[in-house]
Amino acid sequence: MNHIDIQQDSVFINQFENRLKTEGPFSSWDLFQMNYQAVLTTMAPSFEGLKALEYLPQMDFLDHQLSCARQVMEEMNGRAILADEVGLGKTIEAGLILKEYMLRGLVKKALIIVPASLVNQWAKELNEKFYIPAVTFRKSYPWDQYDVIITSIDTAKRSPHREQILEQDYDFLLVDEAHKLKNHKTKNFAFIKSLKKKYCLLLTATPVQNRLVEIFNLVSILKPGHLGDYDSFLKQYGKDRKKLNQDGYLKQLIQKVMIRNTRQNTKFDATKRNIETVWIDFSKEEKDVYSHLENVTDVFPAFSKITLLRELCSSREACYLSLQKMMTDEQRESIIKPLTEEIEQLPQHVKAAKAVDLIKQADGEKVIVFTEYRATQFYLQWYLKESGITSVPYRGGFKKGKKDWMKHLFENHAQVLIATEAGGEGINLQFCNHLINYDLPWNPMRLEQRIGRIHRYGQENDVHIYNLAVRGTVEEHIMKLLYEKINLFEQIIGHLDSILAELDINDLESEIQTIFSESASTGEAKIKLDNLSSVIQLTHEETAQEEQYGN
Amino acid sequence: MAIRKLHTFLQSYFTAHHCELLHNQEGVLTVQLTEEMDRALMNRPFYWHYIKKMGHPGEPKQLTLITDPEKRDGKHEWIHYGSPRLHQIVNHLREHEKYTKLFERVDSKQKTSLFPWLVTNIKISYQGKQKKDEMVSIGLQLVNGVMKLKMMDDLQTKPMQNTISDYCYTISPMIKLQSGFKRIEKVLKTYVEDQDHDWAEASLKTMEEEIDLLRHFYKTDAENDEMKKEIDDIKKRYSPYIAFEVVNGGIFYLKNEA
Repeated sequence: MNHIDIQQDSVFINQFENRLKTEGPFSSWDLFQMNYQAVLTTMAPSFEGLKALEYLPQMDFLDHQLSCARQVMEEMNGRAILADEVGLGKTIEAGLILKEYMLRGLVKKALIIVPASLVNQWAKELNEKFYIPAVTFRKSYPWDQYDVIITSIDTAKRSPHREQILEQDYDFLLVDEAHKLKNHKTKNFAFIKSLKKKYCLLLTATPVQNRLVEIFNLVSILKPGHLGDYDSFLKQYGKDRKKLNQDGYLKQLIQKVMIRNTRQNTKFDATKRNIETVWIDFSKEEKDVYSHLENVTDVFPAFSKITLLRELCSSREACYLSLQKMMTDEQRESIIKPLTEEIEQLPQHVKAAKAVDLIKQADGEKVIVFTEYRATQFYLQWYLKESGITSVPYRGGFKKGKKDWMKHLFENHAQVLIATEAGGEGINLQFCNHLINYDLPWNPMRLEQRIGRIHRYGQENDVHIYNLAVRGTVEEHIMKLLYEKINLFEQIIGHLDSILAELDINDLESEIQTIFSESASTGEAKIKLDNLSSVIQLTHEETAQEEQYGN
Repeated sequence: MAIRKLHTFLQSYFTAHHCELLHNQEGVLTVQLTEEMDRALMNRPFYWHYIKKMGHPGEPKQLTLITDPEKRDGKHEWIHYGSPRLHQIVNHLREHEKYTKLFERVDSKQKTSLFPWLVTNIKISYQGKQKKDEMVSIGLQLVNGVMKLKMMDDLQTKPMQNTISDYCYTISPMIKLQSGFKRIEKVLKTYVEDQDHDWAEASLKTMEEEIDLLRHFYKTDAENDEMKKEIDDIKKRYSPYIAFEVVNGGIFYLKNEA
């Protein structure tokens, strides 16, 4: 073979001549040798293998993460869809791949496009876990000034950034949540496609949602033509994703560009989820208030009433505050006032007492309590303190610095973290393995996110999840008819995203709200809920059969 | 000759830079930095700028490094092969320890002649779908043109210093520096050209396959700009090449062994 390009080093000898002319400076023998040793140590003497592992002694990679990184580099030549299920460590795999490329001198400039809410977390993980000097984009510096930049797509595609980014030659491009690019007619898709890039990773937990053409579009970013051209692909497969299963050839092709690890095929299942429903009975007084509220008809729209009932199941405070806000005129006040007066008379909430029991049973181990309501969060903070338990609050609305501080306090000083829903995303708390769902969200996706905070890569113990529900209330309906019936905690979790997409349900929570508010009686609501769970269950069974795509 | 023990390596590094070792037990190293090392490692240019402006000498910091992970205490830096601190030290070495002129130490009262050698340590990188590196250390005697491989291994045992020993004198080179370096390059070129290049063949093959797929994908529109961009991307990723990089080198005056 005679056409290999050889790049010689012409700088050294000229510089050395200059040094001789100026009589130095010259290295001492020791330091000269040390430079030689350092390069011998840091270079990569083989095409294969992960050099990066020597450089990351503090990391404990799982087998599937290591084999994923090797496969991406050695077989897929650095362009791949990473489609592991949620919580198996896609970020870790991507970080390892980027690190290896950087160590081998194959990547210098990298662009990392992630959802805006995750920009800081990505920066933190790449810096702290991988020692990759990644910076988050700030307005004040230009795109060519730093080598590894993390940004959101909304920033990147906006002028003037767009133009500047398109001018850069990237060695490495990463797009997180890449399933958002499934439609090739969108501006985002066109933008990502037009970036100049050598290596490219697309991260997504749900590579195919509805139509096979979605995966065609993702593959077109990585390897245009790998699945043929658009028209013939559409003709052959476009409408029906079941074809993926029937067509072994297509499946093989996709496996050449996509890696999908599931909980089942990894050792991740070593840590189990123990899920326990904890039933609670209202005290006589609480029950009276609940039925009083349930039977008030005129003042509230059905929609608010169901919210008030849920709040009463959570804390007196949550319900009380909402009621107070509703007292806008005299007529309303005359109906609401007796209710608030009854609430004022209530003793401590039975659920809070139960939560304290559970925390005490955890015997000093860390516990996360999730609640839907700010008022409940405040109440619990106070109530735990009265019971001699240390706790810190956590909310999505906290500034980044405060979030980090609260996490730090929880890890090192307090036993309990009380988080509201908005706090559910993004924070990783693998050091904790008890979770109390103080009240259940109606959107099971949020439940999945909550559990994902602790049951994820890095968790070393079995996790214990307690779901609290008050008998004879709206909570019982949701728990029994929805969550328990579809076996949410054991089976559906991890697949909900695709099931709901299949059913074209954007927001399960508002779906349930509608069921309650449009039903004339509790009986009717129960039947509708029951139907809803049957449909989810059925879809799950169908999709589970075609899960076997990817590598 | 790669780094065998990080602790010893660091100890030599700081000693070579005239930093006093304040504490040096197995696994923990505390050094008193010199001003030069403080400027190189501690990343506080404003401090030095300010203190010099005020006419003060400045106070270099102490640095404690933990080389044994068992000894980590949460207060001091743990240094390991991946840590930013080692990265910084390696970069500092790579930047500053590139050129040298050294003389073999001779403890004799007899007149001794020293012969000039051009020594170069060259990293060869082979890049196809993946990349690997190889180090070659070559010495060329600049009087008779003798060439030696594994030169650094040979030199390892010799006492070398920056000044010439008493009673020694140097022989003038017959071969000019530039043409000596050309000879070394020529040998290297022959060396790599004589190898198998399966890796490069494989890379070219993949490149052609992917470009074919691409043309199929854009079949309706052969002059598509997007396609041209994709082809560029593919070429950048797969075009095989070999690169020589001189890590460091210099003139070594050595006793004649023969």
